[in-house]
Amino acid sequence: MTATLEVTDLRKQFAIGRPAIDGVSFGVPAGEIVVLLGPSGCGKTTTLRCVAGLEHPTSGEISIAGKVVSSPERGILVPPRLRDLGMVFQSYAVWPHMTVRQNVVYPLKHRKLSRTEARTKVDEALELVGLSEYADRPVVALSGGQMQRVALARSIVYRPQLLLLDEPLSNLDAKLRLRLRDDLRAILKQTGMTALYVTHDQAEAVVLGDRIGVMRDGVLLQMDTPDAIYNRPADLFVANFTGATNELAGTLVSRNGQFGTVDFGEGRRGEVALLHSLSPDEKVRIALRPENITIGPHNGANIFSARVLDRRYQGTQTAYGIELFGRRLEVVELGTAARHQVGVETQVSLPKESCWAYRDTGPVALE
Amino acid sequence: MDGLASRRGEVMRSASEGGRGRVGASLWVSLLLAILGFLVVYPILMLLLGALTDTNPVVDGIQLSHLSVTNFLTVLANPNVAEALANTLIACGGGTLIAVAVGLLFSWIVVRTNTPFKAVIAAASILPLFAPPLVAGVAWAILGSPKTGLINTVFKWAGLDWRVDFYSMWGLVFVFGIYYAPYVYMFTSSALRNMDPSLEEAAEISGASAFATLFTVTFPLIMPAIVSGMLLSFIVMLGIYGIPAVLGAPTNLSVLTTYIFKLTNWSPPLYNTAAAVAIILMVVTGLLVFLQHKVLSGRSYTTVAGKAFRPRSLDLGRWRWFTFGLGIVYLLIVVVLPSLALIVAAFRKFMFIRDVSSLFDARQYSLMHFQSIFDNPLTMRSIYNSVEVGIITAVVGGALAFAIGYTIHRTQVTGRRWIDVISTLPVAIPGLVVGVAYLWAWIGVPGGLYGTIWILALAFIARFMPDTVKSLSTSFLQIHRELEEAAWVCGKGVLGTIRTIVLPLARPGVMASMTLLFVLAIRELGSSLFLYTSNTMVMSVLLLDYYEGGNLGKTAAFSLVQTVLLGVLIGGANYLSRGAAQGSVARTG
Repeated sequence: MTATLEVTDLRKQFAIGRPAIDGVSFGVPAGEIVVLLGPSGCGKTTTLRCVAGLEHPTSGEISIAGKVVSSPERGILVPPRLRDLGMVFQSYAVWPHMTVRQNVVYPLKHRKLSRTEARTKVDEALELVGLSEYADRPVVALSGGQMQRVALARSIVYRPQLLLLDEPLSNLDAKLRLRLRDDLRAILKQTGMTALYVTHDQAEAVVLGDRIGVMRDGVLLQMDTPDAIYNRPADLFVANFTGATNELAGTLVSRNGQFGTVDFGEGRRGEVALLHSLSPDEKVRIALRPENITIGPHNGANIFSARVLDRRYQGTQTAYGIELFGRRLEVVELGTAARHQVGVETQVSLPKESCWAYRDTGPVALE
Repeated sequence: MDGLASRRGEVMRSASEGGRGRVGASLWVSLLLAILGFLVVYPILMLLLGALTDTNPVVDGIQLSHLSVTNFLTVLANPNVAEALANTLIACGGGTLIAVAVGLLFSWIVVRTNTPFKAVIAAASILPLFAPPLVAGVAWAILGSPKTGLINTVFKWAGLDWRVDFYSMWGLVFVFGIYYAPYVYMFTSSALRNMDPSLEEAAEISGASAFATLFTVTFPLIMPAIVSGMLLSFIVMLGIYGIPAVLGAPTNLSVLTTYIFKLTNWSPPLYNTAAAVAIILMVVTGLLVFLQHKVLSGRSYTTVAGKAFRPRSLDLGRWRWFTFGLGIVYLLIVVVLPSLALIVAAFRKFMFIRDVSSLFDARQYSLMHFQSIFDNPLTMRSIYNSVEVGIITAVVGGALAFAIGYTIHRTQVTGRRWIDVISTLPVAIPGLVVGVAYLWAWIGVPGGLYGTIWILALAFIARFMPDTVKSLSTSFLQIHRELEEAAWVCGKGVLGTIRTIVLPLARPGVMASMTLLFVLAIRELGSSLFLYTSNTMVMSVLLLDYYEGGNLGKTAAFSLVQTVLLGVLIGGANYLSRGAAQGSVARTG
């Protein structure tokens, strides 16, 4: 039932401007959930729509279960209805003139199935999404979250070989989003379907994805497990997009395996982790998570003196702005106590495995 | 929202509660209600009275004696009335079916396909709205008359054995259908445009073919728009006089509108019967307007997310040239052929066309018909009268509509609900019925309004009141409430605020609404028919006169004069209102 997806060197050029997708390649093994993550306009939704067949790629190849469904060069373009996919839309796209059951049974009507068989399948799907009691309600009488469950049931009722989800949670309110997010992963894993999921929300991506692909300007920057994306981001953009928002600049002095010594100017040196293969005397930029900086006296390496610029108490954590090497850095300290005063000179420690050094390739527009 | 509303209420109350203000407010409401009573309620009551008596208003004046329902029932039982009613329902029903098919097809082509030159097709789809019905009728009479029609002449020349006869129910249904398709088009195209395209994509992903998607998802979703476009086109066809008058006359095919006019033209005129039939027409229209209102106020499926969608366009492949061809055929049928027919008839000395080669014989053409219509003193007088009526209607009607709209939407005075209801009533009254009602209201009153330019203007003001109030209200509802409140706080009174703040800001919208009212008044035929005299002849009635006089050449020439004049006026109104005028011309037919 469930199938692999292979996308090779996909390109999509709309009438004007730069390409929406610029040579994206990735594969999804059967049964895996892959999340495409990126800011709006990065080409993630266009990629998904090309896989669905709703958008026609300019070049490249898409194959599902080993069968080529899109290949402009070879003149192959299988229409969406023959690709055997399911899709969940951002706007739900449940048909308001039908009941819940009519919505869910719709795809089965276009497949050869007996009436009782169809009924059983619909009941199963509704059970799975937790809407059994709502089967005969008109969909417009449901809440947003329930509508999205109907859309999900409709897209899995015929067990398509591949499920596509286009920001399915972004129209829901925050609380519901968290609940449906966890349910969604459970349901997907229960059905064992291959899924391609598009979102701009990193928290969603981490919870849902077996692997995450970070996209930007039509290019796939990194595709890896959530753990690797968070702990070994491939470049400054991925680091920044996944929350390492602080940045320092310096020059690499020497290297020692995976680590190296960086000169931050005026003779101040520190140890950093090298995420690019760098050689001494190269300019580097260093990304750092706000929660990995510790304020206050500390032992060990990478201790520098800094000044607390401001303090924002947020209840369970406190955010500080500090000045280090003439730059402003954000620091987050967990706990309900705000321990540091504004204006004091203090020490900060930057753990070397959390200071990710990248080659300095000139200014990068970060969001 | 509630808090805001009640705060506004308080401001108004404190403004009006200062003793003098309160008396002023109730005087104001009484004044408006009195004007509306005079314009709308009194004529309708007189129409009812007319249907229920057998007294002649011209001879006997207005009398309350002889009141009985029997007169009305006798009229109802009259087989001629039943026949006219049946004809009306068949013609409008058939016309509506064609209108729905054509309108839906073109809205799909324009919004959902990659047909080339879509802008041209979109423009063609609403062009017929601007053709006055009588002119359209005349043009199709020239094209489709069974003996001398241009279409038959061409068929004969081509050696084809086909003949068409537009002087028939079929002709009427066809012309109704193609000219009122834009009503369906306007509703369905905007519904399609506002529909979330992922609703259709979801169907396609689910395995439905493009065709199945259209019938199981797209059309059911825009059903409210289809139904209300359908009802609107039916309502407008019900009230049209020009087309059935031209196409039905040669074979004595009567619909309610033409039958009513016939009744008042007999000698002696049967005013009572006319009133009764007019009431039947009004009741049918009222029911349909009510139904349309229900459909429109019901839940609309189409605005789900309220965001702008990138419209989906279906790649038709080579078929897009076929859909393009359909658009061209429609343009040919509703615009090109009728215009050519009018031009040929207007410039040709004699309508007899022996064969196609004589069609291109320059010696057959001259300005003779134009000279002859302008030799007739009535022609210039009718143009002058039309313009005069138009200006009175626009100025008086515009001012009144502004007063009504402002009172309804921006004040809290008691009685404004009544003002709202009464000023909306004429929506359900066809122009022709307004004419008969005004006839009844004033013909028997000595020393009067009947026979003056003013009765025409007042009838038009009443007839177009709902649309004018609506379009004017939009212009000042866009001005934020706080701009007015700021002026009050600065110490201006209500009237001063309107003069210094509201009117200057709303001026473009007000001007556009008034220009539009002017155009509508010039076009109006249905209500003028019963109210003109030889001194107050207007253009639309004179055109009908020319047609009934039997000279197609003069009719065509005067049609062209009118069409050009109207084209210039509508173009100007549209320019002033940046597109708003076009929708309103549509609403009133």
